[in-house]
Amino acid sequence: MNIQSLLRSTVLGTTLLALVAGTAMAQTPAANQLSKLTPVTDDMLKNPPDSDWLMWRRTYNGWGYSPLAQINKDNVKDMQLLWSWGLTPGGTTQETPLVHDGVMYVQNSTHLIQALDASTGELLWQYQHRLPDGVSPNGQRTKALYGDNLIVATRDAHILAINAKTGKLVWDQQVADYKKGWAYSTGPIVANGVIVQGMTSCGNAQPGGCFFTGHDPKTGKELWRINTIARGDTPEGNSWNGVPVESRYGASAWIAGSYDPDQNLIFAGVGQPYPWPAVINGLLPKNPDPKYTNNALYTDSTLAIDPKTGKLVWHHQYLSNDTLDLDYVYERLLIDLPVNGQTRKTVVTSGKLGIVEAIDRVNGEWLWGKETVPQNVVSAIDPKTGAKTINPAVIPQIGQTTFNCPADPGGRAWQATSYSPKTRMLYMPTAEYCSNTVLNPLDQGQVYTGGGLATYNRVPVPNGDGKIGQVRAVNLDNRTDVWMYRQYAPITTSTLPTGGGLVFVGTLDRKLFAFDDTTGKMLWQSPSFTNSIESFPITYSSGGKQYVAVVTNWSSGLGRLKLLTPDIALPAHNPHEVYVFGLPNK
Amino acid sequence: MPATRSLRDVTIWKQSVCLFATFILMLAFSSEVFAQAEPEFYNDQPYAPNEWNIGRRMDQSEFRYCIDQRDPSWEQDGAIADALAQGLLLQPQRYVIPSEIEAEDLTKIYAILLEKCDIIMGFKLIPSGYPAWLTATRAYKEIGYSFITQRTDIKSLAELPPLRAIAATGGTTAHIRLVSYNLSQPVDKRWLVYPYGGDQLALSAVLNKTADLALVWESSFLTLQQKDPAYSDFRIISSAPLPPTLLGVGGVILKQNTFLRSAVDQAITALSNDGTIKAILNKTKSAAAGKP
Repeated sequence: MNIQSLLRSTVLGTTLLALVAGTAMAQTPAANQLSKLTPVTDDMLKNPPDSDWLMWRRTYNGWGYSPLAQINKDNVKDMQLLWSWGLTPGGTTQETPLVHDGVMYVQNSTHLIQALDASTGELLWQYQHRLPDGVSPNGQRTKALYGDNLIVATRDAHILAINAKTGKLVWDQQVADYKKGWAYSTGPIVANGVIVQGMTSCGNAQPGGCFFTGHDPKTGKELWRINTIARGDTPEGNSWNGVPVESRYGASAWIAGSYDPDQNLIFAGVGQPYPWPAVINGLLPKNPDPKYTNNALYTDSTLAIDPKTGKLVWHHQYLSNDTLDLDYVYERLLIDLPVNGQTRKTVVTSGKLGIVEAIDRVNGEWLWGKETVPQNVVSAIDPKTGAKTINPAVIPQIGQTTFNCPADPGGRAWQATSYSPKTRMLYMPTAEYCSNTVLNPLDQGQVYTGGGLATYNRVPVPNGDGKIGQVRAVNLDNRTDVWMYRQYAPITTSTLPTGGGLVFVGTLDRKLFAFDDTTGKMLWQSPSFTNSIESFPITYSSGGKQYVAVVTNWSSGLGRLKLLTPDIALPAHNPHEVYVFGLPNK
Repeated sequence: MPATRSLRDVTIWKQSVCLFATFILMLAFSSEVFAQAEPEFYNDQPYAPNEWNIGRRMDQSEFRYCIDQRDPSWEQDGAIADALAQGLLLQPQRYVIPSEIEAEDLTKIYAILLEKCDIIMGFKLIPSGYPAWLTATRAYKEIGYSFITQRTDIKSLAELPPLRAIAATGGTTAHIRLVSYNLSQPVDKRWLVYPYGGDQLALSAVLNKTADLALVWESSFLTLQQKDPAYSDFRIISSAPLPPTLLGVGGVILKQNTFLRSAVDQAITALSNDGTIKAILNKTKSAAAGKP
């Protein structure tokens, strides 16, 4: 298959289709696939069909693992491009396609929502959500399927339900005012019949920080709201150094959580305080009143939330008083693991520091941590509580340049880790680099201010090997490193392990790889795509055939590392495409 | 609105004609560069929707400037832009940025500068404060950050007792200067400094007694005071022991538009020297003072 010619045709096709405004558009062959579409039930979400990818990390436990094995270690060398589809270029997508009953759902950065025949790439319907002027067209990392609907979050802080079969809008719930900066960058998870959605962009115009909301899937009506910044005269509420609530910012909830049906608990991450430097956000110097701490709860924490009520059952904070934009917000993997001779129900996650940590998902007790990438921020970890001692030399100070590893995109970024029950390994995309960090005023314009009030000048790791990107395989039973793949170009997708014994990842330099999940041997690599691959690859089957799908786009996150890899050229108009691979058609 | 005063100074007129002629030539020769002003994908590199479809403008006899209604000095900046256009012998074309979003990233102005105007007025000149794709003109005025209070017993920052609260617009040059000074004091001599997301939020913290002082952009305070009687008894106090934080204010231009920047800088110099800008500042009765 000639990728270039196929690409040209799909881009042209998309351009023409983009001229068709807004409403659903059905086509004859497509109707057949849509007619087979079944409602997504609670039971289905608890135990998804192997063929489907129904939610962000495929299953409630957040593993990002597919049991499909038609494409395996023996035949992956024959894998080839089967179809592709051009998305609207520009902006970012960070897309996770969803697949159900042979229908693929994708969201363009412009908020053009499309349903495609997952076997052929034919367009089935599309729906355009119009973003207001001034709201940049960027996509969402994920969506959700529930009942008859596709649930989509938007950059102007709406949640939409679109009929998955017809593409018609069912309801549109505005949750917050985009004019104050509220936005969604990640879609929801549906748990126990409730849509649970985290809010992000809680910067300057949003005093009091972010929140999670629960919504009725039939109407979108908000059922509950829980703030991600603690309030009130409690130990948690007093953890902000005495700074008043309206002067607390950040704690964005920009990644969808995981769900444990047995406990009826959502486990979701929360980001850091804004602005980042603690001397500016009021968390330093420490308030002399002993009533106050400066841990800044619930930033950089896991929250365990009852999805029916919104009640916060417990929390665990990984990093207090984060002054370096080190988000502990990413995916939560729910894994039962041996710890000190007992099987513990754990939540495994890692923040930008790349330290993999496990806590007990019943009570939030910290269990263990394991370092991966070079870092100089944490000088010690309490072996009982997981509390971290921060190297004082890395804390940004006015008038000084400080040196910290990793830099702000993270030793790992939003590209999710994953877990294979076959190998009992965590597959982790990581990056090695550091930063000369300068605290600087960003009040250039009255409304056009900067983001975090610190500049991270990214530099290579001292005495490093120049291989910035890695894929790491860590056995979670004994926390040992099993294998690591290293290369110059950053790894810019999440990892995708499969029942076929493969781990797929994509790169900034436009390649998709397949590794042997036990040895790390590279078994296949794609030709170069049109653009870098910063997204969440998935696999699914349709008509008895397994496919691997990935979306190309240059995005934020680890794509920022292009500053360290300026020789990796990417096209100026930032093309976005869906590429779907499989074994040759017989 | 064009400036009401015409330029009679022969020297300035000659300079302007030369600048204009050269400007037209440069635009002609640089048009391809402008048309291909596509971003490289570096960190903080901005993005404009469909920017690869934005060509060069054809009408080169205009001084296309933007002002932003969310800036308290926007009308004053517009009047100065009109005067600059007149000085450059170009037809002023004003674009008022319509956004109602309360706070935006600096990268948002990239799209505006590609599509709507060549210069956006009203930006503070902060050393090393601008990304590589943007450049600032020289200052056409200076404005300060001020300490504001409702308390009648305080005449300067120095009179505020330790452990009392100051609500500062977070991350401004003045806020960072205050924090730096505060950190240099013994623990028992420090104030509590709370960051706020904007000037109005900081001032409202004084209104609701959360803080004793606000540290905000002076123009914001004066504008709010005119609109809202709740702030009628608020007043500016001395920043002592800190020196006043004054910042020059100019316009921002895409980096590749070097000739325009040079022309505007020369026009600002000329209009400052002949008193034009000072007259505009006096007429618009802003807190801004003409920069000599």
